[in-house]
Amino acid sequence: MEFSFGASASKIIHSTGFSDLAGGDLIMIGVGCTLIYLAIGKKFEPLLLLPMGFGCLLANLPLSMMKATDSGGLLNFFYQGVQHEILPPIIFMGVGALTDFGPLLANPTTLLLGAAAQIGVYTTLIGAVYLGFNMQEAAAIGIIGGADGPTSIFIASKLAPHLLAPIAVAAYSYMSLVPLIQPPIMKLLTTEEERKIKMAQLKPISQTVKILFPIVVTFVCCLLLPGVTPLLGMFMLGNLFRESGVTQRLHETTETHLINIVTIMLALSVGSSMTADSFLRLETIKIIVLGLLAFGFATAGGLIFGKIMCKATGGKVNPLIGSAGVSAVPMAARVSQKVGADADSSNFLLMHAMGPNVAGVIGSAVAAGIFVSLFGDISGVDTHASLAPVIGNPEPGIQAIATVVDAIKH
Amino acid sequence: MEVSVSSAVNVSILAMSVIFTVLIILIFTIKTLVKLIPYQASPAAPARKIVGSSTPGQDDQVAAITASLAAHMGKRPDEFRIVNIQSR
Repeated sequence: MEFSFGASASKIIHSTGFSDLAGGDLIMIGVGCTLIYLAIGKKFEPLLLLPMGFGCLLANLPLSMMKATDSGGLLNFFYQGVQHEILPPIIFMGVGALTDFGPLLANPTTLLLGAAAQIGVYTTLIGAVYLGFNMQEAAAIGIIGGADGPTSIFIASKLAPHLLAPIAVAAYSYMSLVPLIQPPIMKLLTTEEERKIKMAQLKPISQTVKILFPIVVTFVCCLLLPGVTPLLGMFMLGNLFRESGVTQRLHETTETHLINIVTIMLALSVGSSMTADSFLRLETIKIIVLGLLAFGFATAGGLIFGKIMCKATGGKVNPLIGSAGVSAVPMAARVSQKVGADADSSNFLLMHAMGPNVAGVIGSAVAAGIFVSLFGDISGVDTHASLAPVIGNPEPGIQAIATVVDAIKH
Repeated sequence: MEVSVSSAVNVSILAMSVIFTVLIILIFTIKTLVKLIPYQASPAAPARKIVGSSTPGQDDQVAAITASLAAHMGKRPDEFRIVNIQSR
């Protein structure tokens, strides 16, 4: 084989990424660098935005084979964890291991605040449908109002995978902006006197109740809404590791190393799905705007229900804890504490706000379960289509089991 | 378009009702659990024996330790008090 200097140099030049670099790639590299800047320079959700931004950077380097859609590429393998709904539930297990349900168990009526804050999900759903999205897409956009990143990714990958990137970016960006978004709404919807309300100290809870709680919630919620089982089941398993007291190693692993490893994989895969053709669209701007509205309405919903509870209890509930119902643990609870302390420096709302805050996690998971029940396919036929060569056309329920048994016999 | 928006409103009302129903069920479940299994403070740890009520044999030990510590720290013996001696 003969090589000429000119032909070889030309071949090398044409094999570099520069030869394929398009305008859209450059813009997306800029978006990736902006996310990296926000993570490092502004400290906005750095654990997520940094790997997400770098994933976006890698995916938009031409010929790098790092797009989520590049079959056989590294990040394509990571992306399987998103596509097959593996990574968000594992993150939820870690969050469960980090969560103390004590404040919620001590004051269970605060669960209602977590429910009321889900109004943000549904006002956004209506807004998204009005702007021309179909119901599945609108549900995936609406769940941004749940202020729960893994839930947003879970629902987007299930109902509207083509919108995963802008939904994930909007969800995590606004979660990091909770300290900026919520206080003006909180001050607008509450009076100075309401913000000064001091709440009674929470009563202690038996350890047995703390152990039983995750089991009971799993039983009740997963029977009512089977679609929520991957998220809520893992969440409660993580919490059981924490409370049982007999799985210290699993608890420590789940709340530290496992959640960190999976966060890296999840954020990189979401970043790798941020390509010019999926992100540089009018829909992205709509999603960003709708996401902001979702957070605003969710905060307002929690606060208004907090005011109702304040009236109903004769002023024993500070309405500020309602805004913590948007999830975004524990930042939203810290915001309640800060705004309360601004009104009265001797007011300590943090533990009271943790109740609605973890209730918000359960509430957004239930909202996700409703979307899966209404718009998703919970039979899992598509997910397990790879089994088709083994068991023929997979069918749900008893028929599928019978088919598998038959296949094994023969 | 209007039909879709009205469908979205219907879905929203239905979903919010389901969320409230599920969480109200949980509230009653929690209240029942807390009522059935009330918190019981763990029994207080047995009070440590104060050296002041020690046996005559321990008095000698306290005196010796006090003198040694006073010499080591450069303080008078009445400036500090040994409250507990535990043998391994």
